[in-house]
Amino acid sequence: MSDDALHEKIRAEADRIIALGEASESQAPYEVNQPTIGTWLDAMGYDNDRFRQGEAPPSMAQVWTMPGLGRRRPPEDPLSRMTEYLTEVGYTAVLGTNCEQSYERYLRVGEQLRVTSALDSVVGPKNTAMGQGYFVTSRNTWYVGDEVVATMLFRVLKFIPKEKG
Amino acid sequence: MRTLSAGEQLPEWSLPMTPTTIVSTAIATRDWQDVHHDRDVAQAAGSKDIFMNILTTNGLVEKFVVDWAGHDAELKGIAIRLGAPAHPYDTLTFSGTVDAVEDGVATISVVGRVSLGDHVTGTVRVVAG
Repeated sequence: MSDDALHEKIRAEADRIIALGEASESQAPYEVNQPTIGTWLDAMGYDNDRFRQGEAPPSMAQVWTMPGLGRRRPPEDPLSRMTEYLTEVGYTAVLGTNCEQSYERYLRVGEQLRVTSALDSVVGPKNTAMGQGYFVTSRNTWYVGDEVVATMLFRVLKFIPKEKG
Repeated sequence: MRTLSAGEQLPEWSLPMTPTTIVSTAIATRDWQDVHHDRDVAQAAGSKDIFMNILTTNGLVEKFVVDWAGHDAELKGIAIRLGAPAHPYDTLTFSGTVDAVEDGVATISVVGRVSLGDHVTGTVRVVAG
């Protein structure tokens, strides 16, 4: 396949997945809880009384919906689908490049989160210091019930690693 | 919290890192990817050692800004760009500046440096009070 034909196929796959919107959803395995917050504070060396009294640090939003050891993200996850496709066509390596989180409000102990995932954009091919690649950006939205509490744009570079000289 | 005004500089904060730093924060952020706790796997994948996960970088940026702004500071967002990996036995040094205060929200730019270069650069939005 010519390069142009390959890039057209990648573009078509990206557009197809983007059009699916918030195509996957997962529940936090555990509700927002004090022991997990306390362990996080200890590991960070962060001593803030506010987070020993029922509120959760805002940057922990993503922590609550991490799948956990031995668990997987839903197979329909749009970011996984796009990165797996790029791996299949030769863009085997991955590198996280950007993470942009917004917080609508702080979470409280006892709240049950769910997160949705959508493919936001696919930009490329670009020649980067790492090799030729595509920037793949996903959009996560965290909800308590129907209320949006946090959002995140997360970008990875999927690239063909340069040969080591 | 303190009053935030444009041009103010945050005092630098240096975090010497050990394997315990990298592993304990990865697990505390519920990130079980092996490159954050297994040196053999990290080296087989081309890294010199295990390296800090992104959720921890976000957490440390939060702590750096809030420890200075005041523990009742209200964060609206953290936007970061990732660079050089943060490995054990290196030191991660944060610096920051209040870029602007507009519509009641301060934008603070933050850099976290390691020996290989900038590990993280970004901005934190904080309610200015």
